Amino acid sequence: MDTVRSTTLSAENLSKSFSGTPLFDGVSFEAGTGLLAVAGPNGSGKTTLLKILAGLLSPTAGRVRVEQDGRALAGSEKRLAIGWAGPDLELYGELTGEENLRFFRKAAGLPAGDDAIRSRLADAGLSEAAAQRRVDAYSTGMRQRLRLAFALLFDPPVLVLDEPYSGLDVSGREVVRRVVTAARNRGAVVLASNDERDFESPDRRIELRGAGGGP
Amino acid sequence: MSFAARAWAVCAKDATEELRSRVATLAVLFFAATALALTAYSIGPFGLAEEDRPPLQAALFWIILFFAAATGLPRAFVREEETGTALALRKTLPGSLVLAGKALFNFGLFLAIAAVVVPGFLLLLDWKVTAPAALAAVVLFGGYGLSVVSTFLSALTARAGQRNVLFVLVAFPLVLPLLLTAISGTLAATRGADAWTPLRVLIAYDGAASCAAYLLAEAAWED
Repeated sequence: MDTVRSTTLSAENLSKSFSGTPLFDGVSFEAGTGLLAVAGPNGSGKTTLLKILAGLLSPTAGRVRVEQDGRALAGSEKRLAIGWAGPDLELYGELTGEENLRFFRKAAGLPAGDDAIRSRLADAGLSEAAAQRRVDAYSTGMRQRLRLAFALLFDPPVLVLDEPYSGLDVSGREVVRRVVTAARNRGAVVLASNDERDFESPDRRIELRGAGGGP
Repeated sequence: MSFAARAWAVCAKDATEELRSRVATLAVLFFAATALALTAYSIGPFGLAEEDRPPLQAALFWIILFFAAATGLPRAFVREEETGTALALRKTLPGSLVLAGKALFNFGLFLAIAAVVVPGFLLLLDWKVTAPAALAAVVLFGGYGLSVVSTFLSALTARAGQRNVLFVLVAFPLVLPLLLTAISGTLAATRGADAWTPLRVLIAYDGAASCAAYLLAEAAWED
């Protein structure tokens, strides 16, 4: 039986500058369960903030903590506890969707059997036939679904999604909505978007103003 | 799952990609074959006095191996950055693991180059190797060191603007001792002299390069 673990994502006074120009500063929050909406105009730093939360960029100041049952996670545990997908996430074009996911599971040292892979692909709304095709041949929407499957690959308690609805048709949007609803009930979902309709009753909201404006 | 098995997964992924696209393999093997043909035509087996041949052949042998390898080996991380897949790797795997997997793949690529260059030298340049086992050991240990250093430098320079220039500038002082030792070992193997001394230096270099690359991988790979 799966043990339900309490995981908290917290940002403490995060700031980010590029070449001395501040993008945002003083971003702090704590998210246990529910949806945290990150809003703001283009260039306000939403993508950068989400990459910092996902461990892909270092903040200029401040820190990101992930705690599970009161214990701070580090290294691989922290890396895999946060599922991330964003517009600049690309997977291997020469490999099929299924091969991509299998590779990442194997390299992370986790079981990579057919069931483990196909259930993630199904959760992201990718058919078995699509999963057998090379990613080179994927449409924009299929790539977006594969990104979602990648974010779900390690059953992360925290999901960080940057523009997850972008490029999706009606059924694709429904898939994302279903994933977000399920994920926000068992952990934290941080979702950034330019479209207010993508935030369905957020539990918290961060508004970035850009150029050092902070939240 | 052990570190080695996980690194092997990275290597297998790179090999699958390479088998399907053949970009690096074709470039590297074409370079090796061209350089070999040019050398054979310009100096041939009899273009030099017999006593001058061994040192020149040993140097040419490693020059061809090095430049053929330099055509393909730095692609390890550059390709990940150019295609945008580096983010997915960085999100899921530690830098040391990615570096180990890619170094393994690059070593395989180096061995493929050597598999073309060694018989080419033997056939086209009338290369006389008195101690084939010693030559094989020099090629293996020299190639391993070259693969590890090239892979590490590839990680270090992949996100730089002038990455090709930077790679060469940083690689030169690091690879020079390895190449000089490998040439000396190759010369010893062809003359039947003691190749153990250069081999020991190569083994020490490989050990130091592996440790340094492992320890510095996170700094080179992470933001």
